[in-house]
Amino acid sequence: MKLPARRTSYGVKGAPYTFLIPATLLFLLFFALPIGYAVWLSFRKVRVSGLGLGAGAREEVWAGLENYTGALSDSELLNGALRVLGYGCIVVPVMLGLALLFALMLDSEKVRLAPFTRLAIFLPYAVPGVVAALLWGFLYLPDVSPFYFVLDRLGLPQPDLLDGGPLYLALSNIAVWGGTGFNMIVIYTALRAIPAEVYEAAKLDGATPLQTALRIKIPMVAPSLVLTFFFSIIATLQVFSEPTTLKPLTNSVATTWSPLMKVYQDAFGKGDIHAAAAQATLIALATLVLSFGFLRAANRRNKQEAAR
Amino acid sequence: MSSPALREAEPSAGTARETAPGPGRRRRIAMVPTVTLLLGALYCLLPVAWVVIASTKSGAELFSTFTFWPGTGFADNVSDLNAYRDGVYWRWMGNSALYAVLGALLSTCVSAFSGYALAVYRFRGRETLFNVLLAGVLMPPVILAIPQYLLLAKADLTDSYLSVLLPQILSPYGVYLARIYAAAAVPADVVEAGRMDGAGEWRIFSRVALPMMVPGLVTVFLFQFVAIWNNFLLPYIMLSDDEKFPITLGLHTLLEQGANTPALYTLVITGAFLAVFPLVALFLVVQRFWSLDLLSGAVKS
Amino acid sequence: MPYTKRRRLVSSAVAVTLGATALAACGSSSDDGEAQSGPVSLTYWTWTPGMDKVVDLWNKGPGKKEQITVTVKKQASGDTLVTKILTAHKAGKAPDLVQAEYQALPTLVSNDALADIGGNVGDARSKFADGVWQQTTLGTDAVYAVPQDIGPMMFYYREDLFEEYGLSVPATWDEFAETARKLKKKAPDKDLTTFSANDSGLFAGLAQQAGARWWTTSGDKWKVGINDAATKKVADFWGGLVAEGAVDNQPMYTPAWNKALNTGKQIAWVSAVWAPGTLTTAAPDTKGKWAMAPLPQWDEGGSSTGSWGGSSTAVTTDSGNKAAAAKFAAWLNTDGEALNALAKESGIYPASTSAQLSGAFTTPPEYFSNQPDFYTKAAAIAETTAPSAWGPNVNVAYTTFKDAFGAAAKNKSDFTAALDTMQQDTVADLKKQGFGVAE
Repeated sequence: MKLPARRTSYGVKGAPYTFLIPATLLFLLFFALPIGYAVWLSFRKVRVSGLGLGAGAREEVWAGLENYTGALSDSELLNGALRVLGYGCIVVPVMLGLALLFALMLDSEKVRLAPFTRLAIFLPYAVPGVVAALLWGFLYLPDVSPFYFVLDRLGLPQPDLLDGGPLYLALSNIAVWGGTGFNMIVIYTALRAIPAEVYEAAKLDGATPLQTALRIKIPMVAPSLVLTFFFSIIATLQVFSEPTTLKPLTNSVATTWSPLMKVYQDAFGKGDIHAAAAQATLIALATLVLSFGFLRAANRRNKQEAAR
Repeated sequence: MSSPALREAEPSAGTARETAPGPGRRRRIAMVPTVTLLLGALYCLLPVAWVVIASTKSGAELFSTFTFWPGTGFADNVSDLNAYRDGVYWRWMGNSALYAVLGALLSTCVSAFSGYALAVYRFRGRETLFNVLLAGVLMPPVILAIPQYLLLAKADLTDSYLSVLLPQILSPYGVYLARIYAAAAVPADVVEAGRMDGAGEWRIFSRVALPMMVPGLVTVFLFQFVAIWNNFLLPYIMLSDDEKFPITLGLHTLLEQGANTPALYTLVITGAFLAVFPLVALFLVVQRFWSLDLLSGAVKS
Repeated sequence: MPYTKRRRLVSSAVAVTLGATALAACGSSSDDGEAQSGPVSLTYWTWTPGMDKVVDLWNKGPGKKEQITVTVKKQASGDTLVTKILTAHKAGKAPDLVQAEYQALPTLVSNDALADIGGNVGDARSKFADGVWQQTTLGTDAVYAVPQDIGPMMFYYREDLFEEYGLSVPATWDEFAETARKLKKKAPDKDLTTFSANDSGLFAGLAQQAGARWWTTSGDKWKVGINDAATKKVADFWGGLVAEGAVDNQPMYTPAWNKALNTGKQIAWVSAVWAPGTLTTAAPDTKGKWAMAPLPQWDEGGSSTGSWGGSSTAVTTDSGNKAAAAKFAAWLNTDGEALNALAKESGIYPASTSAQLSGAFTTPPEYFSNQPDFYTKAAAIAETTAPSAWGPNVNVAYTTFKDAFGAAAKNKSDFTAALDTMQQDTVADLKKQGFGVAE
């Protein structure tokens, strides 16, 4: 007789809570408290008296929703949001599509050189961001880039990669290059967890490798696809390092190109942590709505499929 | 209970082969995965190759020779890096290793506990707790860093190794990953069977579930290691003693020599090149765990 | 489920608010009595390369006698260090000594991060030019920092290429424009120089030379004059050249820019006295081919220049040993041995007038071995530096400059419009912060 799955019984009720103590404690200390403080800061502002020099010139006062209304009516922030949405539409599908493709390829039976390619695709993750501006400067700037050199020799047109439309491609490329390996590994590990019996059954039914991939593997790694999608959305809405990397190389990337760059600028450049906190809270809320909305939709679909 | 089958089992003779494509087509199809992956590898390796080649160039060659043409200054670059402030670079490398190894280990532990609890048990507030934990990721780290600094300042812990370690131990990504791996790899009946055998919850976790979760936990470790290794913002806010810097910060100070002093480009590139090796080594070590048969731990005695 | 979530939120919000109030209640530490009893240990946040060797001289010499040890902590530079200082100050943990650029001093003083060290370094005043000293007093009776280095601006050009193309060194900006156009006619693929929007200090220095005073005070209010006549003149001048195509519009300090200097695609650079260091790294192949001349003037026969960069040493209000720290700051920037070491180890050009012609500055920099009187000329130029006028939100102005002028340079559009944007944004930020702004 098969026991019902996952039933807590005979005195193990306290166990999950005990297991979760470390995580909860760390969360309270390093996430909840700072987030709370940041939100609290977003309702305050600094008032300056007189010339503002010397002791006692500045004091923190209550600001109510001033920082929020300021953020919502700030055209820089809104433009940044639009830019980032466009950027996300390129990055997320391409990066996850590639990650899925590579993971499936790695998982196929007839693959060769898997350890090498696995390492190679993961390697971009290992290049520190500090080096990135230099690196992409060498690869993107017309005067030094080998690609322009080749295009020049072949007599082909040389688009300015750091301007207008191509700029989005240039930025997306950096993100895709850096992030595909990460997501590939996540999906790949999930693929390895699929029990062998499933494949046996498929083979007995005469499924080709392609059909196995599409009908069996992809649905079975759906949770990890959801995971990577969720975190990709967050990473995209909070994009910061790619535009900051390209900024010194070109006139086309403003200091506030993405919303998070504006937050950084206000917090660290202007020293106005209050406005930055309000903007960050708004960004967090937007991300929350988008990603949890997506998660809810995905879960509903899963339940529907399971019920079938 | 069916006996667990090996991953690479060949299909039984006869049935499958009747529907298989001819030998030529099969060979071409077999090449598809390898070729696709090689193209992907090429795309990913090209900029890394830049780092390798650029580190062989001396200062004079860096901006004057063709980008992918190797230079002659590698040995000089390495000795310059070594000489910079009496070898502080190696100190930075050691610091990065300390933060990343210790941080990732602790993080994997916390993720393992939490993921297991969330996957295997059903309890009140499970989904709420999980969602709140995930929501912690939504607030950009940029804005969390300052409150975290002020918090640690109250405990007089700023500018210490702990100040960089502690905030990075809890990783919502890690918990999420651990949860789905635990859900996939640890069947409920195994846990029940353990309980029926009279094992306590801790024994079930450590003796039964943990070995099954190993490949997933290895992934968690790898990610947290790389995340901590590459983290710039947190150490930047917390540390002011450059003897405690990780490599990311150290290289940054080489670039930001001040408005009027030129950046030490060759040192930065050589430093970045050398920093890739530990990560490659780690990855190679970690790869072994992914080929472990996931079901081997479930074989009943 | 939603009900429990809301309840959790409320209770956690209350808890968090209480915690946060406790955090905010911790303000900056009040300053200490100044009695120094026993050995004192100071920390010094600086980015000047080689500073630890200079500090060694102190620790083994005068510092040993006074029992004051200084430790150097090198971490960030310029604006980013200012942010770190302010964040640390919020927690009351700023170091004893900091390096601060002149334009950052009002921001730091405005946050009450710097202590008045007038009592301890007042006699150092004579060692510096008036214009330089004035930047550390901010027009008050207090002294907030000791000047360390300055960056008087001058004109660098490729002597050999100027000869090749028959160009003469411009003495006025009009001549400069002519030279640029002449070069374009003779060699269309070369540029005299580029207008770069990624270093605001350059534009600020040029405006300074033209007589601009961006921030002034009238009573209790600040007055922002970024788009005053002098700066407009400078903006229009460069905007015209960029629109014409007479100069390039690419940013400096990129691999492409380095290559342009190295291959002679750009043959001149409007820069400051520290240019030899940058040129050594960026354009090593052209060593010995460059020459330095005074900056072109707006008026025939005029002689003034601007300042690009330069920093000072300040003592923070969080320090428990302000007198000792001030002593060290004074020594570092006025003592002959210290300044010599600074020149040797750090390659910086001293603000102290006596040091500008001694020690390391008796011979020209290696890169300019073809110009033996390099430093004599530099000292003479430094004397003509126009006064600067900084305010409490220089970083905002600088950032707006980068964005507005960056776009204008890219589109070759009207620089005056960009300048107006810069003015408006700076005024708006001042008002937002709560300062009184005079129109």
